[in-house]
Amino acid sequence: MPENGNYMIAAYIVVGVILIGYALSLYLRTRRSLRA
Amino acid sequence: MRMLRAGRWITAVALVLLAGVYVRALAYTPIEQSQGLAQKIFYLHVPAAIWAEMAMILVGLSSVFYLFTKDPRLDRFAAASAEVGTIFCAIVLTTGPIWGKPIWGTWWTWDARLTFTLFLFLLYIGYLLLRGAIPDPAMRARYAAVLGICGMCEVPFIHLSVYMFPTLHPMPIVLKPGAPSLPGSMLLTWALSLGVFTLLYVGFVVQRYALSYLREQLEAAGEVGHA
Repeated sequence: MPENGNYMIAAYIVVGVILIGYALSLYLRTRRSLRA
Repeated sequence: MRMLRAGRWITAVALVLLAGVYVRALAYTPIEQSQGLAQKIFYLHVPAAIWAEMAMILVGLSSVFYLFTKDPRLDRFAAASAEVGTIFCAIVLTTGPIWGKPIWGTWWTWDARLTFTLFLFLLYIGYLLLRGAIPDPAMRARYAAVLGICGMCEVPFIHLSVYMFPTLHPMPIVLKPGAPSLPGSMLLTWALSLGVFTLLYVGFVVQRYALSYLREQLEAAGEVGHA
């Protein structure tokens, strides 16, 4: 079996970072609009 | 505000469930023998691809109805769906090369499926830039609707590209005529992941829709720039 677990780990980290980053961005933008 | 709270709750639940999908995919789903661990990228790549395409189809459909009805809620939904679709498309375009490198030996190739997907991403970016560039709400919504409909017309080409052109990208193994070519445990993990990505799409779109509404209220009061 090929040894390529690092690629899998990288992909799972990237997806987590993108999704959590976007959720955070929505939260911050909404908070800023609510305060305006 | 109720909509905003609902969107936040849906997103929070979806992110917790995503952690569950990670655990199931990494620890409780068998390893594919020929591709090894890299094949597990499939459980994130394919659901993200489905929702990147679905989001653009929904942008296009709501744009068609907007042009007939001029209902601002449809324009608001299209804007929300486009932004969320961009995020899912970014996931597809990052996980794809990470999967491709160990399996194909290259990060990127100008293959039909990959190129059409990149084009979809550029359409999403163009759509968002167009919305940001036009201050007049009615003109912004009309121009964006036309681009949204063009984007929707591109989606079938992405899905059918593997049948229409010689390509390095594999043929569909789940969304195809006939039964999926996956063992039951892998199919279940994929289905759970697709469910979580669906929930993420809904949660993000509901929040983004509420944000657009808030910004429109502020815009009407002359306090901020357009959404």
